[in-house]
Amino acid sequence: MQRAKLFDHVILLMGVFIMIGPLVVALMTSSHEAADIHRNGLSILPGGHFVETYQTVLTKQGGFTGKITGLRMMMNSLILGLGFAAGKIILSMLAAYALVYFRFRFATITFWMIFTTLLLPLEVRILPSYEVMNTLHLTNTYTGLIVPLLASATGTFYFRQFFKSIPDELLEAARIDGAGPFKFFIDVIVPLSKTMMAAIFIIMFVYGWNQYLWPTLMTTDESFFTLVRGIKQILLVWVGSNIPDYNEAFALAILAMLPPVMIVMIFQRWFIKGLTESDK
Amino acid sequence: MTHAPSLSPTSAAPTTAAGFFRRFRSAPSEPHFAKRVQFSSPFLPYFFLAPQMAIIFTFFYWPSVQAIQSSFYLEDPFGFGSTFVGISNYTDVLKSTEYLGIARFTAVFTAVVTFFSLAIGLLLAVKADGVIRGNATYKTLLIWVYAIAPPVAGLMGMMLFDQHIGPLVKFVALFGWDMKVGLNYTDTATAMIIVSIWKQIPYNFIFFLSGLQGIPVSVREAALMDCRSGFRRFRTVILPLLAPTAFFLLIINTTYALFDTFGVIDVMVKDKAANNPITLVYKVYMDGFRGNDLGGSSAQSVILMIIVFVLTIFQFRFIERRVHYS
Amino acid sequence: MIKNITMTGLALAFSATSSFAATDITWWHGMAGRNGEVINEVAQKFNAAQTACALTPVSKGTYEEALASGIAAFRSGEQPNILQVFDAGAATIINAKGAVIPAEDLITKAGYSFDRNAFIDGVRYFYADSDGKFVGMPFNSSAPIMYINDEALKKAGVEAPKTWEEFEAIAPKLKEAGYIPLVQSQLTWQFTENFFSRNNIQFATNNNGYDSVVDTELKVTDPNLVMMFEKLKSWADQGYFAYYGAGWNDNQKMFEENKAALWIGSSGSFGGLTKTAQMPFSADFLPYWGSINGAGTSSFIGGAALFAMAGKSDAENKCVADFFQFLTSPEIQVFYHEATGYVAITKAAYEMAKKEGYYEKKPAAEVGIKQLMLPAGEWSKGYRLGFYPQIREIMEREYGRIFAGEVSVKDAFDTIEKEGNELLARFAKTAG
Repeated sequence: MQRAKLFDHVILLMGVFIMIGPLVVALMTSSHEAADIHRNGLSILPGGHFVETYQTVLTKQGGFTGKITGLRMMMNSLILGLGFAAGKIILSMLAAYALVYFRFRFATITFWMIFTTLLLPLEVRILPSYEVMNTLHLTNTYTGLIVPLLASATGTFYFRQFFKSIPDELLEAARIDGAGPFKFFIDVIVPLSKTMMAAIFIIMFVYGWNQYLWPTLMTTDESFFTLVRGIKQILLVWVGSNIPDYNEAFALAILAMLPPVMIVMIFQRWFIKGLTESDK
Repeated sequence: MTHAPSLSPTSAAPTTAAGFFRRFRSAPSEPHFAKRVQFSSPFLPYFFLAPQMAIIFTFFYWPSVQAIQSSFYLEDPFGFGSTFVGISNYTDVLKSTEYLGIARFTAVFTAVVTFFSLAIGLLLAVKADGVIRGNATYKTLLIWVYAIAPPVAGLMGMMLFDQHIGPLVKFVALFGWDMKVGLNYTDTATAMIIVSIWKQIPYNFIFFLSGLQGIPVSVREAALMDCRSGFRRFRTVILPLLAPTAFFLLIINTTYALFDTFGVIDVMVKDKAANNPITLVYKVYMDGFRGNDLGGSSAQSVILMIIVFVLTIFQFRFIERRVHYS
Repeated sequence: MIKNITMTGLALAFSATSSFAATDITWWHGMAGRNGEVINEVAQKFNAAQTACALTPVSKGTYEEALASGIAAFRSGEQPNILQVFDAGAATIINAKGAVIPAEDLITKAGYSFDRNAFIDGVRYFYADSDGKFVGMPFNSSAPIMYINDEALKKAGVEAPKTWEEFEAIAPKLKEAGYIPLVQSQLTWQFTENFFSRNNIQFATNNNGYDSVVDTELKVTDPNLVMMFEKLKSWADQGYFAYYGAGWNDNQKMFEENKAALWIGSSGSFGGLTKTAQMPFSADFLPYWGSINGAGTSSFIGGAALFAMAGKSDAENKCVADFFQFLTSPEIQVFYHEATGYVAITKAAYEMAKKEGYYEKKPAAEVGIKQLMLPAGEWSKGYRLGFYPQIREIMEREYGRIFAGEVSVKDAFDTIEKEGNELLARFAKTAG
């Protein structure tokens, strides 16, 4: 038993090493000079330019209008991440609830219609999508940035899987108590789904947070720049004429990880308690 | 009704409008696939579905129909000229031996990436769920990676596998492997697969963990009593309970490997596919986005969509049957 | 969060009203990093120099993303006034008759005189139509040139080659001195397209594609080109040439680390090399074959051009013309040339930079311009080939196979010609 436990820790530590190792490397590398990184690649030892690099990244006013600061980009990413994650959870929970807990004529076809959205990624239909956005006058708006990304089945499919695994007895008991669909949803389903909501929130927040192509296409105003776009801007230097500021890209990436990590920390508690709480 | 055994049949529509709020029906004929008890209401499900459907119609079906339409044309991207070419965009693609080679690689790539990212994610989730000491720390650390920005993940992958100075290349050189990513087909494929798996592990970890946390304590305790062997306990009790999540992840990971890895591929081939392995979606990206061949790339998208659709129906038909809900 | 959104709205409204007196024009580009900052500086200089027009540059990601954004926007009538399009995408936008107003027409209509001869020769034709009228305004231009590891050549006791024959003669000595004699960074641009320009050989029918899209065909099975690649392959086998894949930097790295003697790079590369090369280096023209009759002509430009999009008001078009005029002024050209490493595109700007003594400080910066100013040959003006990004991909794929020893050079070029011609035939239909 003791040996087995030790073995578990070994596996986990290896997992942590493989997953976190590169992040430590990114942090260390960010403290070297750009030319140094270009020559020697990644580094596991700290260099001497930590403070100045991070200072530059946080305070530099970029772009034509000077409106692109680290803070501004972070705020835009946050709006995208939070808006997307919240929207996704609300939409997909409602839809999955209807699909699993209701009997209605078009259930099968509806499910497949939603499901099909998994099969054609945004990148492939990006030009017509842009035209639709223009028709609806949604370019250069946060709505235009967030809402089209919601047209995907991931969340709905996930909640459907979960709802189907909720014991039927719960609904039977609720029926005996005289609970209607709304009451059952709010009083039973939502509390039960806490862990699932936390998981999907983390995933979707990061997804929204990391958007690049769609915001690039959709906005022409620099005040909509996101962090990932800022990072890309640094790395996209025409071959050879200049060295990209690798250090700044790594530094921005490290900073860009903080809010998602905070989200993870916040929802961590739900993860640990999760269903066990309502299982008393 | 052959393709969606998981849902209640259409014939079971509500018969009366009376009592539409609190009406329950049961369908014992479909033991594993549908809820035995359901609400029945003529308009309430549509009310819940409306927001999702509205968004899907506006932002998915409307543009998608246009994309499919253009697969039958050869069209100047600015919209000045176009020639209707029937299905020749499709036949051009399908008779190209290069395309078939890409398709073969895509199949292998998808299978390997899906399998390993699921397996490793599951292993880590089970272990993190099992240990008591350091439980929270492991979880946080393992979830963290998911937050790394894709361009930087790509940059790191590229630097780790750099032909001349990549640490991983130097490491495998100790074992006599002269790894040349970007030059040697197999080496490039290996690097692509490793980075793609690495990026997806936290995703699977999060969902598997939430699935495990969702298993009631009473069930676990009972299982602990029943069988002492950890592996058998996992296989006979935990795994079936995790099956709905696993099925979800199987589908999502398949689409991840097929669609969402194109950023990784772009970085690993340094923006130049040359004679390196690429996937079908990367080909769509090269021809459509970079080469402005709207007709040809739309045809490729439709082919891809059909493949994935068939694959998914297959998965629903044969794998979901084995998934026991509740 | 809501407060923030409102503030953004206010900021938008404010920035919109603050410049209401001037005509607003927009410029979408695909440059980033330092090069993107220089674009902002150019735009600021333009706005400071006059009051009638207010130019806003917008970064749209990469070249490809910028073109795709421009296309999508044009289809919904939201196109910018100016769009930057890269060399391989030139055929797409120029063949879409009606998408752009030729730069020359725009400028003359605005009342300026336009002198084609003011531009250096190598720049003049690439973005022009078959009559030589400028369709796109050349903006950031570069040429493939040869960088020389001075230390290596000194060690081997040889002179830098002007021709490939001379290279063959010195390669064994460079190898003996412990260096890889030759590396390059892009076989398509440096050894295919510019093989045709430097050696003055026809690349494609229909006047390299300028005359018509219908029935344009590649001529890549030209015996001279096949010979070039057979030489490269045999040099690789003998250790005179090394190929590290299609990635630019994997190849450049060997030169930077003082392991290679000669590297074919871009005229703009010297800025980065100054920071990374571990030895003194100089530069010279891209070699040609002395044995080919009429060889030694100027090269094609790489980089990108600015296009004035159609469907805009006269007032805005006038502003675009003003900006193009401003952009070609010697002062701005010299500023841009020195800030980015791209070549100056007018003769006046070249003279001015020379007078300033810029090339005495940075001799490598002059090589690209001088190579573009070499006498033009019949086939060194440019090429206009549809779906060219895909054709380049086919070439890259086959070249990789040549050096992996999977196909013979002859077979590779047969494949490129066959698949390339199929693409060109498809492209001809898009114009229908």
